[in-house]
Amino acid sequence: MSQAITAAHNSAIDALHTAYLAALDQGDMAAWAATFALAPDTRYFCTSAENDRRGLPLALMYDDCRGRIDDRVSFVTKVWAGTYQPYRTRHFIQRLSMDAAGTNQYRVTSGFTIMMTPEGGATTVLTSGEYRDLIEIQGDGDKFRAVFRERRAVYDADVLPRYIVFPF
Amino acid sequence: MSTHSTHVYTGTYTGDAPRVWPAKVNQIPKEVFGDEALFEEELKKIFYGDTWHAVGHAAEIPNVGDFKTFDLGRVPLLIARGKDNQVRVFFNSCTHRGNQLETSVSGNRKEFECPYHRWLFSLDGTLAACPGSKEFAPDFKQEHFGLVEVKTDQYLGLILVTMGKNTPPLKEWLGESALPTLNALLGGDGRLKLLGYQKVRYASNWKGYNDNDGYHAPLLHTGFRLLNWQGGKGFQRMTPNGHVLFEAELKPATGNGFLKDPSLIEFKGSNPERGSVITQLFPMTVMTKHMDVINLRFAIARSHEVTEVHYAYFAHEDDSEELVQHRIRQSSNLLGACGMVSMEDAAIFQRIHIGNQTPGFAEFQKGVTSLTEIPTDVKQNDETGNLPRWEHYRKVMGFKREGEQ
Ligand code: FES
Ligand SMILES: [Fe+2]
Repeated sequence: MSQAITAAHNSAIDALHTAYLAALDQGDMAAWAATFALAPDTRYFCTSAENDRRGLPLALMYDDCRGRIDDRVSFVTKVWAGTYQPYRTRHFIQRLSMDAAGTNQYRVTSGFTIMMTPEGGATTVLTSGEYRDLIEIQGDGDKFRAVFRERRAVYDADVLPRYIVFPF
Repeated sequence: MSTHSTHVYTGTYTGDAPRVWPAKVNQIPKEVFGDEALFEEELKKIFYGDTWHAVGHAAEIPNVGDFKTFDLGRVPLLIARGKDNQVRVFFNSCTHRGNQLETSVSGNRKEFECPYHRWLFSLDGTLAACPGSKEFAPDFKQEHFGLVEVKTDQYLGLILVTMGKNTPPLKEWLGESALPTLNALLGGDGRLKLLGYQKVRYASNWKGYNDNDGYHAPLLHTGFRLLNWQGGKGFQRMTPNGHVLFEAELKPATGNGFLKDPSLIEFKGSNPERGSVITQLFPMTVMTKHMDVINLRFAIARSHEVTEVHYAYFAHEDDSEELVQHRIRQSSNLLGACGMVSMEDAAIFQRIHIGNQTPGFAEFQKGVTSLTEIPTDVKQNDETGNLPRWEHYRKVMGFKREGEQ
């Protein structure tokens, strides 16, 4: 029985990852925000491996409440529109571990690579890194949906190759 | 159908920086941004010359044995705190055969060991051990082979170095008029606590990175407009050796229906009259205290077209836990390479570098009152604050103006 639930949760988590990557690779910030839970204490962080290793709290993106996740959508779509040089991304991820963390919650880590293609340019690696997630399964019966309660993207680059518009 | 242009280009573009500058002081030849050979000259005359360069703050390496590595132009530096608590700056190069000594960007060590022939250096640079030294050259003396120190000095914990022979003493180089603004920026007494870094490369010449003007904020930064955020009173002041100081009153944002989480732009600082403080030290160090963000930007001129910037953010040692949390949140999201109100600056650094690969001049306009005199009196929102720095650059590089002997 619990085996069956795990399998269903498992595919819900796969679907969440896919939705996240698809949102960013299409530059759809609203769809990005929709992968996060609506709970007010839902969080998204994007920080360097250096800050992480040294226990330094500063991040590149520090969205420590749900409101700020929505505000990040506004930064990209309203505040910065027309100023930045357009670029597309391709995200690749691989799940590394998954542990139950209470009822309907999982701690999941994944490795990621982000390729970047500036408009008019060639594809290069933007950075790689590790997602550390707290994922919640919402819904019941045979209708499941997985959402991020917390996503922490720890990127490997000591120095990023450019300024950053989109979340990792 | 007709096309109109007020300018038709008829000249010969070489892409090389002109050796003679235009007579008009508000024109900068665009070739200075794209000339590779010029960059080599700048390394010698500016970066390895008689000027100080900010390479860190003591708060980045608070404990004995803490170190960070940094580059001045292409010269690798090792900045370390010794057992005596002194911060020293060394060439990051073993005194034996020159091997790069430390490879990490930061860390903590008991001593520095070169892996090549195992020479061992103490935190103060002394050569403590060198296996097999009995067979070394007849004139070898262990005490002569300590790490080579680079001349360094500190101002409220800000670590500066110089490789020049005739560099003026630090305080003289900073200048009396710069000190009050710099003090305000460094939390009054420089007792800072490191919160972390954002590090990024810009596809931009270092001078383009540095050439931000004081009046673009309401034009470029939609964030300021959306927040209905008007600038307050303040000043912009330049020193003859190319520094620019800027202070402005901060009126907290009003009429905000835009952010769902307005705590991002709360101002908890005690003095709104000095809510925005910028110190720009020639050649390429920019430091800002805006709202509750204390941001020192240590920059490296990598090439004529790549500039690397290490944004380091700090709290003050006396801050309450709550204020530290607020600073972390605000610092991360407001002013960096991905910040709500300054990502556009980053975009402009790169776009201006591309646009400047065309013939002609970068033109300064707002605040220009004379075509022959370098302005000394500049209003808070003029772009002419950049001109004394350009003039200093021109002189250091030895470029004459048209008609000048
Ligand atoms: S080069 Fe460092 S020990 Fe020989
Ligand atoms: Fe700006």
